[in-house]
Order: sequence, then C-alpha cells, then structure tokens
Amino acid sequence: MKRITLSLSVLFALALAPTALSQERDRAEAWKKLLERLDKDADGKISTAELQDAPKFLARLDRNGDGLIEESEFMSAPGRRGKPAPKKPASAAPPAMSAPVELTPETSAFFESKIRPLLDRSCYQCHSEHSEKLKGGLRLDSRESVLAGGASGPAAAPGDVEGSLLVRAVRYTDDDLQMPPKKQLSPDELHDLEHWVELGLPWPASAASSAETTASTSALPGQREIDWDKARAFWAFRPPQHASAPATKDKTWAFGEIDRFLLAGMEQLGAKPVGDADRAAWLRRVTLDLTGLPPTPEELAGFDKDRSEGSYAAVVDRLLASPAFGERWGRHWLDVARYAESSGKDSNIVYPQAWRYRDWVIAAFNDDMPYDRFLKEQLAGDLLPSSSEDERAQHTIATGYLALGAKSHNTRDKRQFAYDLADEQIDAVSQGMLGLTVSCARCHDHKFDPIPTTDYYALAGIFLSTDTRYGTLRGPGNTNPSSLIGLPAAAHVPDGPQMDSATRALLERAREVIERQAESGKKGDPQTKLKERLAEEQRGILDDLLARFDESGHALPANRQAMGALEGRAHDALVLERGELDKARAAVPRGFLTVIGDLEAPPIGKESGRLELADWIASPQNPLTARVWANRIWLHLFGKGLVRTTDNFGASGALPSNQALLDWLATELVGQGWSTKQLVREIVLSHAYRLAAHDESAGRTADPENLTLWRMPERRLEAEAIRDAMLAAAGTLERTPPVGSPVGTLEGATRREELLAPILKDRPVRSVYLPILRDRLPGALEVFDAAEPSFVTGDRDETNVATQALYLMNDEDVLRASDAFAARVLASPGDEDAHIEQAFLLALGRKPDGTELAAVRRFLHEFKPGAPQGKADAKPDPRNDRGRRGRRRDTAEAEPSSAAVDPKTQAWSAFVQTLFGCAEFRYQS
Amino acid sequence: MNDAHEQDLPSPRRRDALKLLSCGFGYLALRSLLAQSAMAQQPEAGPLDPKQPHFPPRAKRVIYLSMAGAPSHVDTFDYKPELAAHDGQSVAGKYRAGAVLMASPWKFAQHGKGGLWISELFPELAKQADRLCLLRGMQTDVPAHPQAVLMQHTGSFQFVRPSLGAWTLYGLGTVNQNLPGFVTIDPPSGTGGAQNYGSAFLPATFQGLRIGSGRGGGRARRDTEEEAVANIHNERLSTDAQRKQLDLLQSLNREHARREHDSDEVEGVIQSYELAFRMQAELPQLLDLSKEKPATLEAYGIGGEGTDKFGRQCLMARHLAEAGVRFIEVTHGGWDQHRNLREDLPRQCKEIDKPIAALLADLDQRGMLKDTLVVWGGEFGRTPYAQNGDGRDHNNKGFTTWMAGGGVKGGFSYGATDENGIEAIEGKMKIPDWHATILYLLGLDHERLTFNYAGRDFRLTNVSGEVAKEILA
Repeated sequence: MKRITLSLSVLFALALAPTALSQERDRAEAWKKLLERLDKDADGKISTAELQDAPKFLARLDRNGDGLIEESEFMSAPGRRGKPAPKKPASAAPPAMSAPVELTPETSAFFESKIRPLLDRSCYQCHSEHSEKLKGGLRLDSRESVLAGGASGPAAAPGDVEGSLLVRAVRYTDDDLQMPPKKQLSPDELHDLEHWVELGLPWPASAASSAETTASTSALPGQREIDWDKARAFWAFRPPQHASAPATKDKTWAFGEIDRFLLAGMEQLGAKPVGDADRAAWLRRVTLDLTGLPPTPEELAGFDKDRSEGSYAAVVDRLLASPAFGERWGRHWLDVARYAESSGKDSNIVYPQAWRYRDWVIAAFNDDMPYDRFLKEQLAGDLLPSSSEDERAQHTIATGYLALGAKSHNTRDKRQFAYDLADEQIDAVSQGMLGLTVSCARCHDHKFDPIPTTDYYALAGIFLSTDTRYGTLRGPGNTNPSSLIGLPAAAHVPDGPQMDSATRALLERAREVIERQAESGKKGDPQTKLKERLAEEQRGILDDLLARFDESGHALPANRQAMGALEGRAHDALVLERGELDKARAAVPRGFLTVIGDLEAPPIGKESGRLELADWIASPQNPLTARVWANRIWLHLFGKGLVRTTDNFGASGALPSNQALLDWLATELVGQGWSTKQLVREIVLSHAYRLAAHDESAGRTADPENLTLWRMPERRLEAEAIRDAMLAAAGTLERTPPVGSPVGTLEGATRREELLAPILKDRPVRSVYLPILRDRLPGALEVFDAAEPSFVTGDRDETNVATQALYLMNDEDVLRASDAFAARVLASPGDEDAHIEQAFLLALGRKPDGTELAAVRRFLHEFKPGAPQGKADAKPDPRNDRGRRGRRRDTAEAEPSSAAVDPKTQAWSAFVQTLFGCAEFRYQS
Repeated sequence: MNDAHEQDLPSPRRRDALKLLSCGFGYLALRSLLAQSAMAQQPEAGPLDPKQPHFPPRAKRVIYLSMAGAPSHVDTFDYKPELAAHDGQSVAGKYRAGAVLMASPWKFAQHGKGGLWISELFPELAKQADRLCLLRGMQTDVPAHPQAVLMQHTGSFQFVRPSLGAWTLYGLGTVNQNLPGFVTIDPPSGTGGAQNYGSAFLPATFQGLRIGSGRGGGRARRDTEEEAVANIHNERLSTDAQRKQLDLLQSLNREHARREHDSDEVEGVIQSYELAFRMQAELPQLLDLSKEKPATLEAYGIGGEGTDKFGRQCLMARHLAEAGVRFIEVTHGGWDQHRNLREDLPRQCKEIDKPIAALLADLDQRGMLKDTLVVWGGEFGRTPYAQNGDGRDHNNKGFTTWMAGGGVKGGFSYGATDENGIEAIEGKMKIPDWHATILYLLGLDHERLTFNYAGRDFRLTNVSGEVAKEILA
C-alpha cells in the first residue's frame, strides 16, 4: 500500500505540472500508468471505487463530479504552477453548449469534398479515434471533438478564425505549435480550413454518425466480411430438429427411438449390431458409468436373481438416486468448469473456498437440477430471485464458476489482469457451454468461425462489468487480491474443513518468525521498510487464516465465504486491436454472438448483461447449448461424443457422426425439462447400451471405426474411478463426503512444502474430493489422464503407458490398498478358493474361471517376497532428497506399509494387486 | 515349447494394425511367461524391434530440443543488418496497423569456418557454429501456440495425429527393448498436452514416455532424477518375486484378451507392463547423473545458475541416446517474449547456450554426433516489428530452426527471410517439409511411411512435404 501511495503521488504531481505541449507526453504517460495501477475494470476511466487504494486527493481530478476520472479531465487538469491551460479547459466548455451550425447542401458538399479528406489526410494519424497514439488528447473526427479539444483546449471556436488554435497551428506562426508537424498544409488547404472555421464548423450529421457506426468494424485491420446468411447455415447454428428416426429394415432390434437412429446408421453402412453383453457385464458398465464405482457382490447377486423385464430399469433408477451419481457426474462437469483450488500460472495462489462450488455441482447433479437452471445459476446466480437465505447462499456459491479459472495473480497492470480474467471467463463459458472457441477472437476475427472480434468484446464488456470475487490476499506473488462474498448468516452451509493440528502449529510458528523478523533492523532504513511491508502482508495472510479457525482447528462462521461474481460498474468494453492494451479502439455495446442472434433474451440494460447472457445461453432457442450438453452426456456413456470434438462445434471441429440423433437428444433434453437424469436414463436403457464390446460381426468391415456403435466401445475407467474402485474393493473407501477441502485451511502461494504435505496427504475419500491444486494434481489422478484444470476439458486423454504400469506395480497407495483388500478377503468366510472368488467378485464383478483359479492357487503357494529391490541403483541428488513431487509426497506421513504384514497376507496382497493391475479392472467392456 | 500356449498366440483375426507388424503384441508377454527368468532372453520380434529403414539412414536417433513459446529468430540466428537500418520504420501498410520495426538489441558476428552469423546471446553455441545447419526459411500455418505446437509435433492441429516421435518409432523400432523408444523430458501440459508425444491411431506402444513434471520447461523448479519417473522401484518385492507377480497378472490379461477377442487395449496394457518391468532395471541408472565427472557436469552447466535444469536434461538426453533410445525430446519453455524482450531473451538464451554447446561437443567426442540428429526450434518465430515497446509478436511466416549432426551440413545456412526477417522468401520450409527432411535423414521416405487407419493410408506429412536435399552432408 505504501509503495502505491508513493508512486501515485508522483503521478499526481505530474498531473498538476504546468500544461504545455512539451509536457503532454509526460502527462499521457502518467495517465497510462495511473490506469495500469487503478483501472481494475479496464474501461479507460478511473471510478471512485477504483480510487479506494489511492490517495484521497486524486479524487479532485474528477472535476465534473460524475464519479469517474476520464482521460480528458486528467490531461486538462490545471497546473499547480505557471499559467493555466490556454483558453478554457475542456470540461468548462462542454460541447453541447456550442450551438449547432446550420447545414446547407453547399456547406455539406464543401465539408465532404474539402475538409473531410483534408482531416483524414493530414490529421487523423494522430487525432482520431483510430489513431495509433492519440496526441495531445485531441480528436478531430467529429464536430464535438473539435469543440471539446484536447490538452491545449478547444481546437476551434465556430466563426472565430483568429481565435482558433487549429488555425494558429496550421499557419505555423507559433514556434511550439506547428501542425501537421512534418509537412505544412498548402495555401489552398489552409484557406479551406479557415473558411470552414468561419462557416461555423459545419459537420454533416450523417457523416458524423457514419463515422460512429463504422468505428467498430473499420477500427480493426484485416476485418473480414462475414456473410451472415451463409454463416448461419452451418449445421451447429441451425436449430436442432426433433424428427423421428428413419425407418429401419430390422423392426425388432430397437427398444426405442435412440436405437432406431443408431440402427438406421448401421443399416446404411451395412453394419449389424453384435449380441448383448451378459447381465453382469451390463451391471458393471452401468454402475461404473452412473456412479464411478463397481457393483458390490450383493448387487451382482441381486441382479442375477431378478430376471424380470423391469430389472434393468430398477437398477438404473437405484443408481440415479444414489448420491454417488452426483459425485461421478459432478466430476464430469468440473472438468468442463476447469475446477481447481488454486490459481495455477506463475504464483499458484490457493483458493480456499473453491470446494463450495465443487459441492454445489455435486448436489446439483444429485438433485437433477434442470440443466438450463444449472447454467443460469453459475453465470448469474447473484441476480436470480431467491426465496430463502439457503437459496441465496447456493446462488452465490454457484457463481464461483466464474471465479475459479487459472489466473496470473502477479500481473502488474490492472487492466491487463481485468482483460485476462474476462478472457478466461469467455473461454470457459464459450467452450464449456456453447462448444465454441470464442477466445480465438480476442486479437483477430475468428479464423474459422463467424465470430468477429467485436463479438468477443461485446461479451468481454459483460464480464468486465462483473465484479469477480476470487478471494486471496495481497502478498508474495499476488498483486491482484480480491475479497470473497460473505454467505448469509442463517444459511445452512458448512463452516469449513477441520484444520490439521500440524498445520495450525506451523502457521503459528510462522507468525512468530515474521514478528521477530519485522522487529529486527533499523527504523527508517529502506531495507527494513521493505521487510516490514512483506511482514505485514504475510501477517495479514496468516491472521486472516487463523481468524477463520478456532484453537482446535474447527472452522468458524467467519469462514462462511464463497468465491463468486457480483455486479460491477456496467460499461462497454473497448476493442483492443490484436488484444493489446495500448491499442484500445471504439467501445462495442455489450451483447452476444451475432451468428446466433439475440434469441428471445431481453436486451441488455443498465446492468452488466450477465443475467441476459445467462438467459441467452440457457435458452431453448440457442442452437448450441442443449446439443453440447446432450453430446457430453453421450460421451460419458459411449466413450466418444456424437460430435467428437466436444468443446468445439465450430467449423474446425468435427461434424456429428449422427446429427439426427444428436438433434433428437438435444430436443428431448429440453422437452424433458432439461433433466440430465432423464436423458441418461433413456440412453442407458437403450439396446445399444446393452451391446457387447466384442469385436466381431459385419460391423467390423463395414464400419471399422464403430461410428455407428454396432458394438459397445471398450472404454478405460477415468482416473477417479480406477482409484475409487481400488478403495471400494479394499473396503477402505470412505463414502461419507468430507466437509470442505484440506486446501480450505491454506491461504497464499503454494510454496511451503511443509504446509502442503499434510494437505496433499492421501485420504480414503472419493477421488472427487481430493485437493485439486493446479500443477499439483494427486499422483493417482495425474497418471491416468485426469483433466488438466487450467483448460476446459470435455474429453480426457486415454493413454496406456508404462508409467501407469509402474504406478500399479509400485505405488505406495496401491500397495496399501492391496494390503487392505487382502485382509478383507482373508477375513471373509470360506476356504482359499472362496477367498479367491470373493476377490475376483469384488474387483472384477465376476468369478474366476478354472484357468485363473489354478494360476492364482499356484501363485499363492509358490510366492516368496525375497529381498526387496534396493534403491541402490538410484542415488538421489542429496540437494533434492525431500521429494517435491515424487511418489513419496502424498504419503509422506503414512506409516510404513508392509512392515508388520505376515507372509500369507503378503502373498495375498501381491495376488490381489494383480487384480487392480489387470486390463479388465481398468477397462469396461 | 508348451503346446498349451500355442493357442494363446495372437490369432489371425487382428486389426490391420497388427498385420503390419512382424508379430502381435501378446507375443512379447507370452515369451516372458514362458521364460524362466524374464531377463534371460531378449524378445525376438515385437513392434518395437529395430526395423530396416527405406534406405540407408544418415541418422539413427533424434534429440529434439523443443523451444516452447517461439524464440525470436532475428535476435538469435537470423542476422538482419537491414532491420537495424530500418529501426523505427513503419511496416503498417503490409502488416498489422502500427507495426514498427525494431532492430535487434544484440550484436551478431560470424563464427566458424562456415562464417555463420550468430547473435551474441549464444557465445558458447557460437563456438559450435560449424556443426550447425541453420534453417532460416521456416514457416508454419497458424501463429497461435497450441495449434503451432501441435503442428510441429504431429503435422496437424485440427486432428489428433501421431507425433513425430511415434512415427519414428513406428518406422524404425528401437534398439533397446528395456527402455521406451521415445522419451520426452518435461513436455508442456498445455498446447496439446499428451498429443504432442501421443501415438493417436498408431498402437499405444509407440507413445512417448514422459519424464518429469510435465509442466513444460518451467524454469523455477526441476525434478530430481529420483522424481523424474515416479514409482520406478518396488519397496517390497525382489525382482524375481515381482516377475512372478507380473506373470500372474499377464496371464489374467491374456485370459481377458482371449475372451475379448484380442482387444488392442488389452494388448497395450500387456506391453506397458513388460516395458515398465524392463525400465525398472535400466532407467534409474541412466537418469542418475551422480557418476558423471565434475568436468562434465560443469560443461553442461549443471549446478550453474539458470543452466542447471536444462543442463541436466541435456545430459540425461545424451545418456538416453547412448543407451539406444530412438527419439528423445527435451522441452525448454518461456520463449514467448511479447514484452520484456531485452530482459527475458538473454536469460532464456543463457539457460540453453552452455548445455546445448556441451551436448554437441559431448556427442561428437563420443563419436555419436555423426548419427545423432539434434534438432532445435520453436513452434514459430517472432515479428521483427515491435510489440508493447519491448517485445515481439508471433510470426508464422518466417523463422529459424537448426539441425546438427546426423547427416546435415555443418556451418551451413539454408533458406532466408526478407530483408527485415518477416517472411521466408528462399528455401522455404513448411512443417511437412521439415518433417519429411527429418524422416529422410533417418532413412525413411515420408511418402512410404504410412499407416492404414479407418480405410485410409495416413502419413505424418499428409499430402505435402519435400525433403530439403540441399542440407544433406
């Protein structure tokens, strides 16, 4: 704060320096700096709110008292010493006060033929809205701007030739005012200009307004003409059709409409569906798909017993009602929402309240919140009516979606930070909800899709008018802190996670150290001052954190805060040519994507437009929203989207493999009240979903890529499901959701390894509840291609590599889970064969066949662990012995795993580990 | 050997992919099951076994130094005296509005017998000038990082395609079956992520093994050798016991494969375990730099400020190359100087200058440079006109990469950009040409290195690609 005060004082001194042309550059420079420091919403003005951190006297610059300091006010601020600015300052002579001049056809013609070309030719390089660098704060591209003038006052007074600065400048009579600077006007031109001033500066209105309207497009070089009719003819921009499936030759195979669409596709290519998967395989498939967990032996037995026609539907309804459904499907959305609990990028500052959003997402899926509602709450929950404090709190938490993207907290220029934040939001919303890569249009028109840069900045205006509250405190690596949003006192929300006692002790010790450091050193010494400032920041962070937890580590009501969004000061964004701050062009009105049109969304009024945006996106008329979501649902049930590029429905994306089906699903989704569960239910009860994964039948040659889904594709389990299934088989999976996240007990940059270790320690909770710090994903998730949380990830990678094998062979967590699994199996009733059977059932959902049983028996009898492989081969660098990211980090605190295990259990542990490791465990077929 | 196992041999009903290979994947696993000790016999014919190239190769392996973020060519390897003369001149008419040329703040001098012009930012590398073959007419399609990085690595940014390393492995196999044939050290997690070392529709076994944190050449932290490959040791079992455990696991996998009619995925899993097991024995030693002489460590800049991380990675790359890894990539990030060029670029260059110079000298001294192709380059170049006063913007129209060793001319410069360094005008090399040339040096004809997938023969260079024969030694 002190540093800022100092610099701003300097800037202020500059602002008050005598106004002279020679000083203009300094002033302009000072203004730029001022914006960098203060203009958080990047509107090119400084509002009273933005002045909060600045010295009070700066407010004096707002001379017209509208709560905003504008460039003209700054540039024309009266000097402290010396002469006041020549003529009257701009603000004292508002343009509106000058009487308009009467236009005649003659004066109009004169202006258009002589003056406009002259201004364009000789002045606009420096004095128009489109100038690379506006000189002297003077624009000459409208009558108003001529009258308003620049730093040296009005450029011309109507009728007053001799008193007009413009005339003086072009006459080259003054030594310090000669325009244009490089080449004097010809006598004819000079004469025309004098004549124009004499006439009273006639400026044909149409011309003026046409200059305005072209501003937004001609401002950008390389703007291509978009043929909107043609653009809108692209499949993804046309509304989806709810047509019935075409007739098929085979009349008996299909269970319902979905199957008929698929079958028609197969018949067209000459492919035939394979036979059905056996019931146990179907149960495993559907249980994993809907809950991310394998079926229990009891569930398998129950399903085996109930052979009624309704047994499939009964299973599906049971799974949809399970809280595990939200944990599974919520995670799918968290991939799309680029959910993480830290900022990533340079400083990686933690977001201690991010977990509230995670829990909100999980609950929304469990409650089957209509998808349109689901989107609206995330985009504009704060603006939706609520009937209770609970609802109010949930609405706030939902907007956390906008706040938790990756951010570079150390960005010095506030405007850069603001534009980057808006860009990140546009990227997340457009890819995640619309399947479009709108961010490509930040610097230039979209290369492939009909998205001009002006559309991008129309959206950017909405987000720049939003007050995004991502939390974090000023401190090392963070010059862009923000407060959080307090949750209503009466709302039923958890206070937060339990602070680990080790963490608490560390924090308190750290505070003492800081205290001591701050006290050492001489008063007034610059070194000491810096130290003091740093100490103050760190103390601030620690105190804030400690104040939210009591002595025993329980979260206090003070911790009931959320990341989220609120309304900021509504304003339109300035188009930045090539995305560069220095190249701010005309403002574009806030709005949506032209190619889709306004639909039935109400026009944006005096607010940010976020609510209108939410309505526009979640509108049943929006051709993309329902399609994109239906496609994502399909992806999670069949392994590939009908549009394979799930986050890109644009021209560079893939075309749908079966558009009629996709459209049917999208319209069905909307027709069923945007119910995700309904659509999931319909799909998993289809015949297609019941097919075997066997790679035979006519489809093999007719459709080798299985585009028509003549068989169920083989799919690898997601990272979370692999880990959860291991813990479930081992019987150690904690099914009760934890309260909050261990990250909630941290604050500041994620640099202190000793603080991170207890946070990142593996806990037997479902994987969705593991801490998700950017660049520090839990090893178990990272190795199996968990979503990279800095990006919108609709469709994860599915690799099959040796590092995964190493993980399953050697990782400490896997070994411990194997021990628990072995102990569980050995404790179950029955003999050795029964135990082996039980292990197969728990891990793979089936009994072993004869060959397998024999192989396992032989293994158990012959097994000898031998002397462990030494670490003699690898000599770790002593400087780095404390692994930062190594396999040890998650389990640093864990007890040695196998010390006390008897040989029998060790043999069993080695055996059951092979069940975790085998392909069948990892794949669902 | 054992009749009972005969039926487990890969069945003839395999997808086309496997027909191209000399033998199915399952064979390797089967062999190790049959063998008393896994290490007793080397497998005879697997997909990773060395294969005959199309014609005699000039290079046997590749070390690809990927400069993520796109280094500025006019400040490093593309000397433009006229740019200095044009400093401050506008090229707005032809390029973006307000484009004003900015002279390189650094001096260039000629080096070596070939007289290559190299900027003062690379004092050490300049001493190796006669080994470098500068490619100064490079071009790529899109001036945006994710697309260009993918283009550079896979030849396509719109579709998921196999990476250059995967194609190389597919074409040549690898000589050391105990190591992955394709290793990528610290690749970026963004800009296409795993796709950049992925195998796409090629069998998964051709995918690159990632070593390190995968945060893409971040400069602040490095991984220790111990951390570089997670879980490289088992803390409980002897090697023999673990082999027995693995044998059980693989028998389960084969049972499963049989039931599932030879699924590619199961084959991939089987392969991944065999490779993992062999890697356990060999990889830690290769990544262990503690046995290196202090002089070697010093030469690579290990322990030096700024050079430590990349120095280690370069030395690891040499170890891997020596051990028979076919394709090694090392990423160094942070080259995106939109601003702070004067401050950041010297630091960037310093971080790699000494390590690369040492790598070239070391390879040469070991007689390996003649058949190791070292490739250096970013995904595109930067504009000779300024951005933000002290920065340069993306430039896909002209940039420089270089190659060294492996059959290319040393002290040689091929291709040129215009007087200011904006666009390539001579010896133009687009990414498919660059790929075709790399494959050619490896003895592979880019038009014949194809893989049939979904009814079409795919190749790395898609429908274009011309070998720059001018650079062949």
